Amino acid sequence: MDISEFIDPEKGLIRGEIFHNKEIYDQELEQVFARSWCFLAHDSMIPDSGDFIQNYIGEDPVLVVRQKDGSVKAFLNQCRHRGMRICRAERGNTSNFMCSFHGWNYGLDGEVIHIPHEKEIYDNLDPEVFRATQVRLANYKGFIFGTWDETVADFEEYMGDFAWYFDAYIDRFEGGMEVVGVHKWVLPANWKFNAEQPASDMYHGEVSHASAFQVMMPISEEDGAPPPWVMQQLGVLSEPAGFQFSAPNGHGTGWFKGGMPLMDETIMNWHQSTREEVSERLGEERFDLAGHANIFPNFMMLSNYTFRVTHPRGPDEMEIWAWSMAPKNASAEVKDAIRLDILRTFSPAGMFEQDDAVNWEEEQRIMRGHMARQKPLIYQQMIGQARYDADGLPGKTVDHVYAEEAARGMYQHYADLMSGKPWPELEKIKKAREQKERDEIAARASPAPKTAAGGGQ
Amino acid sequence: MNKPTRVPHLFRRPEQLAPADVPMETAYQLEQFLYAEAELLDAWQFNDWLALMAPDVHYWAPVRENRLAREAEQEMYPPGTAAHFDENFKMLGQRVARLYTHMSWSESPASRTRHLISNVRAHVTDNPDEFRVQSSFHVYRTSSERHQDSVIGRRYDLLRRADNDYGFQIADRTVVFDMSMLLVKNLSSFY
Ligand code: FES
Ligand SMILES: [Fe+2]
Repeated sequence: MDISEFIDPEKGLIRGEIFHNKEIYDQELEQVFARSWCFLAHDSMIPDSGDFIQNYIGEDPVLVVRQKDGSVKAFLNQCRHRGMRICRAERGNTSNFMCSFHGWNYGLDGEVIHIPHEKEIYDNLDPEVFRATQVRLANYKGFIFGTWDETVADFEEYMGDFAWYFDAYIDRFEGGMEVVGVHKWVLPANWKFNAEQPASDMYHGEVSHASAFQVMMPISEEDGAPPPWVMQQLGVLSEPAGFQFSAPNGHGTGWFKGGMPLMDETIMNWHQSTREEVSERLGEERFDLAGHANIFPNFMMLSNYTFRVTHPRGPDEMEIWAWSMAPKNASAEVKDAIRLDILRTFSPAGMFEQDDAVNWEEEQRIMRGHMARQKPLIYQQMIGQARYDADGLPGKTVDHVYAEEAARGMYQHYADLMSGKPWPELEKIKKAREQKERDEIAARASPAPKTAAGGGQ
Repeated sequence: MNKPTRVPHLFRRPEQLAPADVPMETAYQLEQFLYAEAELLDAWQFNDWLALMAPDVHYWAPVRENRLAREAEQEMYPPGTAAHFDENFKMLGQRVARLYTHMSWSESPASRTRHLISNVRAHVTDNPDEFRVQSSFHVYRTSSERHQDSVIGRRYDLLRRADNDYGFQIADRTVVFDMSMLLVKNLSSFY
């Protein structure tokens, strides 16, 4: 199905059809999820030989397993015999996986190692054919991503300039990150809402999350007023300034100048105390450079160390799998403060998260309407304002934290993939598109004569 | 977090499986307290509900997982790890206050809830004023035009006699939801 009529990234217009249509959804499983790098696990989730977790690429369950030699392998959690789920636990430790239908037994690497009555009933068994379907893996600083696609670029190249921004979330500290909590839940809404929002929509916070900001703001016991450090945080919110970054492969991130507001004093004090260490590691300019982000298609993160995949479950349902992480070398007190902060803000019972759910639920419900899917929705914030490699920020950014550049970029990439064009061709198209945009920006900036093509307004 | 300490599974602790041993009158008082608590929640009297919490209350709801049969004892995350709620009195107070901001959009317009409480069983403790009380709940909810869901589970409470209208305070509550992945859009109520 040609979806290009629903998406016009240049004008910032997108029709609700892409959130509603079942045919489009099925096409996404094939063209988006099966052709992208998807987050599967973090090293700390499977530290020991035989440790495994199950995750998904789209609707396909994948077992991610620590091997005896310390490496990681991943394979489709589907028995080659009749397609039963090989392992029905979501996490654990094992020496092998036995399919509980007819008893085929798979090793930690997905090779079939035992088939009941094999000698009598199979002529000659080709291990290639019987092996569970393997996933191509990449490990970026402890974060394990997988793809079925042999033609998509290596993960670091796939991230492109976003890697520099990603590091501001995950590579702030020596020793890396570890998992301190997990939540999984179901929302009656399209997966793209929870990809687009962390990539691009900081704008909703002050209204959608007004109640949470109001009640979580610490006040001093004496005069009931917020202490100075809180006032400083609120200042960030009342005069929002910051940036948004958009990658050609659909990744996006945004952050406030001066950092995301923090409402927990333990975390605030710790965060400030790490300024020197983080600046030394990443450069001063990246200390405050975390807010929210999404690695296309569905791995989102927040500066509070929430990391999630949003699994598609039909056009009108998503599963959110969210891990709370903390710097491994932080004190026990700080780790626990981070764990509590996330469960009280961005978990299904979290005071921020509850209110996001209701937005997406209502959006989805309304998309059932005919008229609701006719007029395009407006994604035009900061349109035409993009710059490249400006303000010391690699790649394409806009100079405001409230912007929709990253949403436009995400849907451009989404449309590219949905066109079904092979990756090598898409890469050429993206390069040409970027060059054209760079030229236009340069032409606008240079004091050329009025007749210059592509001149300013 | 990957290696939860080996604690007996919450559902299978001998002291909780033991026959109830409070006198009939006490059992009646404890039950009536739980019903009153439920009624306050369904009536949106959250400040009155909060007043039923002891100042040292701990309100905790662990996350559960699908585990292999031989790892079944670890299907619930232990204290200090993955949880849906892990609250002291002040934290619960923030959640209550949020509901009265009229901007807590998940509950504005308010959902309609019914807390059904059953299977109440109570045990005495070393402290004559404190009782361990287990109860099952079914929280039915509708919201917006046509959303409806149910959250079902069991609670393990420590109830303490108190000088208030309802006779007790909740000193400790563990809420166990009968779900691994939560099949609801959020947990915007109290359980
Ligand atoms: S389906 Fe797995 S052994 Fe038959
Ligand atoms: Fe939000």
